[in-house]
Amino acid sequence: MLQKKICMLGGFSVGKTSLVRRFVQSIFSETYMTTVGVKIDKKNVELPDRTVNLILWDLAGEDDIGSFRVSYVRGATGLVLVVDGTRPATLAVALTLRERAEAEFGAMPGVLLFNKSDLADQWAISDLEMNELKTNGWPVYLTSALTGNSVDDAFHRLAEMVAH
Amino acid sequence: METLRQLLVGREISELSRVAHLLDEPEQLAAAVGNVLPSATAQASHVQLSEVLAPVVEGATRRSVQKNPRTLTEILYPLLLPAIRKSIGEKIDATFQSLNESLKYIFTLRGLKWRLESWRTGTSFAEVVLKHSLVYRVEHAFLIHGLSGLLITHVAAENATSEDPQLISSMLSAIQDFVKDSFNEKDQEGLDTIRFGELRLWSQPGPFATLAVVIRGNPPEELHEILSDVLLRIHAEHAEALEQFDGDSSKLIGIETQLQTCVDLKQQDSHQGFPWLLLAAALLILGAVGGWLFYSWQTSQRWQAYVTRLESQPGIIVTEQKMSGRQFYVAGLRDPLAADPQSLLSGTQVDPARVHSRWQFYQSLQPEFVLKRLTASLAPPASVRLSIADNGIVAEGNATAAWIDRARAAAQQLSAGGPFLDIRVREVDPEKLAEAHWHDYVSRLETKPGIIVGEHHIRDGQFYIAGLRDPLAVDPISLLSETQVDPARVHSNWQYYQSLQPEFVLKRLTAALAPPKTVRLSTLGDRILAEGEAPAAWIDSARAAAQQLSAGGPVFDISKVREVDPQKIDAERWQAYVSRLETQSGIIVGEHRIHDGQFYIAGLRDPLAVDPLPLISEAQLDPSRVHSHWQSYESLEPEFVLKRLSASLAPSKSIRLSIAGNRIVAEGEAPANWIDRARAAAQQLPAGGPLLDISKVREVDPQKLDEEHWQAYVSQLEDQTGIIVTEQKVEQGQFYIAGLRDPLAADPLALLAGTQLDPTRVHSHWQFYQSFQPEFVLKRLTASLAPPKSVRLSIVDDRIVAEGDAPATWIARARAAAQRLSADGLTLEVANLRDMSLGNLNRFKRGIEAIDIFFDSGKAVPGTTQMPVLDKLASDLKELTEMTREAGVTARFMLTGHSDATGRDTANLSLSLARAETVRALLKKRGVDPELLSVRGAGTFEPAESDDSLVGKPANRRVKVTVSLE
Repeated sequence: MLQKKICMLGGFSVGKTSLVRRFVQSIFSETYMTTVGVKIDKKNVELPDRTVNLILWDLAGEDDIGSFRVSYVRGATGLVLVVDGTRPATLAVALTLRERAEAEFGAMPGVLLFNKSDLADQWAISDLEMNELKTNGWPVYLTSALTGNSVDDAFHRLAEMVAH
Repeated sequence: METLRQLLVGREISELSRVAHLLDEPEQLAAAVGNVLPSATAQASHVQLSEVLAPVVEGATRRSVQKNPRTLTEILYPLLLPAIRKSIGEKIDATFQSLNESLKYIFTLRGLKWRLESWRTGTSFAEVVLKHSLVYRVEHAFLIHGLSGLLITHVAAENATSEDPQLISSMLSAIQDFVKDSFNEKDQEGLDTIRFGELRLWSQPGPFATLAVVIRGNPPEELHEILSDVLLRIHAEHAEALEQFDGDSSKLIGIETQLQTCVDLKQQDSHQGFPWLLLAAALLILGAVGGWLFYSWQTSQRWQAYVTRLESQPGIIVTEQKMSGRQFYVAGLRDPLAADPQSLLSGTQVDPARVHSRWQFYQSLQPEFVLKRLTASLAPPASVRLSIADNGIVAEGNATAAWIDRARAAAQQLSAGGPFLDIRVREVDPEKLAEAHWHDYVSRLETKPGIIVGEHHIRDGQFYIAGLRDPLAVDPISLLSETQVDPARVHSNWQYYQSLQPEFVLKRLTAALAPPKTVRLSTLGDRILAEGEAPAAWIDSARAAAQQLSAGGPVFDISKVREVDPQKIDAERWQAYVSRLETQSGIIVGEHRIHDGQFYIAGLRDPLAVDPLPLISEAQLDPSRVHSHWQSYESLEPEFVLKRLSASLAPSKSIRLSIAGNRIVAEGEAPANWIDRARAAAQQLPAGGPLLDISKVREVDPQKLDEEHWQAYVSQLEDQTGIIVTEQKVEQGQFYIAGLRDPLAADPLALLAGTQLDPTRVHSHWQFYQSFQPEFVLKRLTASLAPPKSVRLSIVDDRIVAEGDAPATWIARARAAAQRLSADGLTLEVANLRDMSLGNLNRFKRGIEAIDIFFDSGKAVPGTTQMPVLDKLASDLKELTEMTREAGVTARFMLTGHSDATGRDTANLSLSLARAETVRALLKKRGVDPELLSVRGAGTFEPAESDDSLVGKPANRRVKVTVSLE
C-alpha cells in the first residue's frame, strides 16, 4: 500500500470540497476547514500494479494569496488545482498558488481541474487558454461537482503520476 | 625544423608553455584550481567526496579546537544552547514529577513495599511505580512521518475504537502546522500533549518521525521515558528508511512490533494504597493517648469536686491539696463539729485508698459552730432559744437567774474574733415559772366538765389541789402529765361526786336503764330526752329512774316513749304470716293461735305448694317459738292437678295442657295409647276437682305420623335438583330409600337431620351420577375449563352459554368441551366468544405502527404540532398493553429514530437515536411503561422515501414504533 500526500489548492468557492465529496472517504467535517484551514480526506485509487492511498489535504480556499498557508504543502507529492470555470480570476489564483508551492518545496506533479462545467452558458475560460494550459505540462480536466464528470479520471491520472 | 615546429605548433607550444608555467607556478595553479574548485566539488560524487573529506574535516576541526576552542563553540553555540536548555528543563520536570510521586507513596504500605521491591530487584523506583500504579491504557500508537504527515505505522489496543488512522495522523500534523503557523514558532518543536477529558495524546517528536500515543486514563510521567526509548530505538534501527520514507511502508516492517510494546502498557489497578497501617497505628496511639488523657482528666475532676465540696463545708478549711502520681493529698483544719471529711469522701468517686488526709482540729469561730458548742455547754432550758442573727448568737426566752449567769460567763469566754453571744433572756424565777404552770393546770381543770376544783394552793414549793370529780369525767392526774408541772410536787385530793350535768346524768342513765334499741336518749338543753318505743316494763323502770334523779339535776323526760307491747308486735307479725299462708294456693290453714308466747299453726298443704317454714323467718318471727303441723293433701286446684297430670302423663310435645276456668284442657295430637292413658287419668281424678278435658286431642297414629314425615322428606328430596329418588318404602317401621345423586347436589343425609325422623330407622342407598341439568353441567364445566375472567358462563333456557373474550387456545378447548357435551345431548354455546389473541391485537398493532412522529431538520425534539399525535400514540400503547396483558401476552415496543441525509452520517446516527429517546421520554411522561419501550437509531440508512425530493426529506425525519408480541 502506497500513501501519498496530495494538496488541493484553489481560490475561494471554486467547488473543491463539493467536487470531491462523493469520491472520498472523510471523517472530518467542513468546520475543520474554517478553523484549522485544512480538511483531510482519503481516496483509494486502484492502479494495475498497486493501490495508492491519496491522502488529500483540502486547503481552505482564499482569495487573498497572502494568507495561503504554504506550510500545509510540506511533504506533498502532488497537487490538485481547482478553477471555477465561470470566474476567470480563479485561474490566476490557482496558478499563483502553484508557483508559491513549487517555490517553497520544489516542482511536483499535479492536475488542473476546471470546475462547474455544467454551467456551460456562464463559462468564461476560452478554449484557447485551456489548450495552452494543456500543453504547458499538467493534465487538464473539465469537471462538474453536480454530475461528477471526470473527477475519477483526474484522480486516477494523478495517482499514476505520483506513484511512479 | 625549429621554424617548422614554430609554424605548425607555435600557438600550441605557447599554450603549452603557458599551461606548464601555470602548473609550475603554484600560486597561479592555485588560483586556477581555486576558480574551478567550487563547481568541481559541486559536480563531484558526494559520497566519495564525503568519504575523502571526512578525515580532513575531522582533522581540521581538531586543529581548530586545539588552536582556539572558542571559535568552534561560538559556531555551535546557537545549536547547543536550546538543546541544553530543553534537556535541563525536561530533567527538572521529571525530577519534580518523580519527587511528587515519591511523596505520594512515602506513607503508604504499598509505597514501602515498592521501595523494597525496587531495592531488591535493582530497578528504579520510578519503574516499580510505573509497574504498579495508576489506571491507564495506551490505546493507540502512531508513527508519523515528520515531513509529510503520512502515517508510517499504527497499532491499536484491543477493543480500542478509532477512525481511519491515516486521516488522523495527517490531521494531527496539520494541527501542529496550524499552531506553529499561528503563533510563529520558529523552533523545531512539535506538539507535546493534548488532553481531552479522559484521553491524553502524547506526541514525542523525533528527527524523522513522531511517535504519538493516545492514552486513556492517568499515566505516570515515567511513561514519557519509555516512549522516548521506543522512539530512539526505532530511529536507531531504521534511520535511513525513515528519512527516505515516501509513502511506501513496505520498507519498514518490524516497526510495528516496537509500537506494540507501547500499546501493551497499561495498568488496571488504580488504588494508591490506602495507608491502612499508618492509620491504624495512628488511631491506636491517638486512642491510647486520648484515653489516658481523659482518664486522668476525669480523676482530677473528681478530686477537684471533692476538694470543692470540702471547702464549701463550714468548719473545714483546706490548707493544701495536691495530686501527685496517682495519690491525692489533702491537709487542713476541721472543727470537730463539722462534717467528717472522710465521710464526705464516700459521696464522690474518688478512691479512698489513694487519699491521704491530714486534718487538724480547730475551733471554728463561725456562728453555727459557736452555737453548737454553746448549746452543748450551756444546756439552755426549753424556754430559751438560741439562734444566729447577723454574726452573733442570740439567746431569747426565759431562764432562771442561775442560767443567765452561766450564759453571761460563757459569753465572756467566747473567743475574740468570733461571734458574740447576746443574751436577751428574761430572768425568770423558776418558782414563778412553776407557779405559772400550776395555774395553767388549775384553770384547765376548771374548764373540764365533771370536775369541780375546790381549792388549790402552793406552799413550800408544793402544789395542793382538792375538788370533786365525777368518775366519768376526765382524770386530773393524767392531765397533769401534759403540763410542765412536776407531778411529785402535786398533791391532789379528789372526791367523787355525781355531777348533775346532763351529759353525766345521761351516761349514768344509759348505764342503768340499758334502753332497748328502739329507744334513743339524748340531751336537750338541761333535760335528758328519751324517744322511741319500748315495752311498758322498761317505761316503768325509766319512770322510776327519772324520779330517782337528783334534784337540781336534769330532768328525765320520757314522754315521748311510746309504750309498746312486745306481745302485740309478735301477734301482729304472726297474723301477717298466717294471712300470707292463707293466700297461698295449695295451703289451707286450719287453726292458729298464740299461747304463752308460742305460736301454733296447723293445716294442710299440697306438696307442690310453697313451703310454709321458710316464710317464718321472713315474717320476723322467731322460728323456735313457732310450732307448725302441716298435713299433705292433694289440692284439687287446677294448677296442682295440672302439675300432677303433667308429671304422670308426660305428654309429648304435640300435646298442650292448659287450665281453662276450672278445667284442665289438653289440646293437640297424640297416639292412641296416650289418649287412653289420659282418659284413665281423667277418670282417676278426684271428684270435686277439676276435670280433664281431652276432647281436643286428636288421635294420631304414630306410624302415620312417621309416614307423614317420611313422605315430606321424600318429596323434599325429589324437589332437589341433582337428586333422583328411584324407590322408597316403609316396612315394619323402617324406612328405605334409594336413588341417584349428583355429587354437587345437596346431601340427603344432611336433609334428614332437618326432619323429625329417627335416622336409625332410615336406610339410604345413593349412587352418584352426573346430572345433565344445566346447573350441574355449568359447575363441572367451570371447574374443568377454568375460564378466564373475561369469559362468563351462564344458563339460558336449558343451554349453557359462554360469552366474552378469550385467547384462541381456550376457545379451542371450549369448543372441544361443547362437542363432548353435545354427544350427551347438552348444548354449550361458544359462538359468542371473541377471539382476542390475534385478530384484534394485530389490527391494533398495525394501527400503532402506522403512526409517525415527525421532526424538524436537526432537531431531536418534535414540534408542538406532534403533541396530539404523541397523546394518541401513548393511549394506544397503553390500551394495547392492557389487552395483551389480559390475554397473557406481553407487548414490547421498539422506537426507531430516522433522519434525512443532510449532514454527516455519524451525526445523523446520533440524531436519530436522540429522536427515539426523546419520544420514549415523552411517552413515559404520558403514562406508558418505559420498561416496554426500547430505542434505536437508524440514521439515514432506512429512509421512508428517496431523500432527494423536497417532500422526501421531512418524511424521513421521523420516529416509528414497531410492536412485537410474545
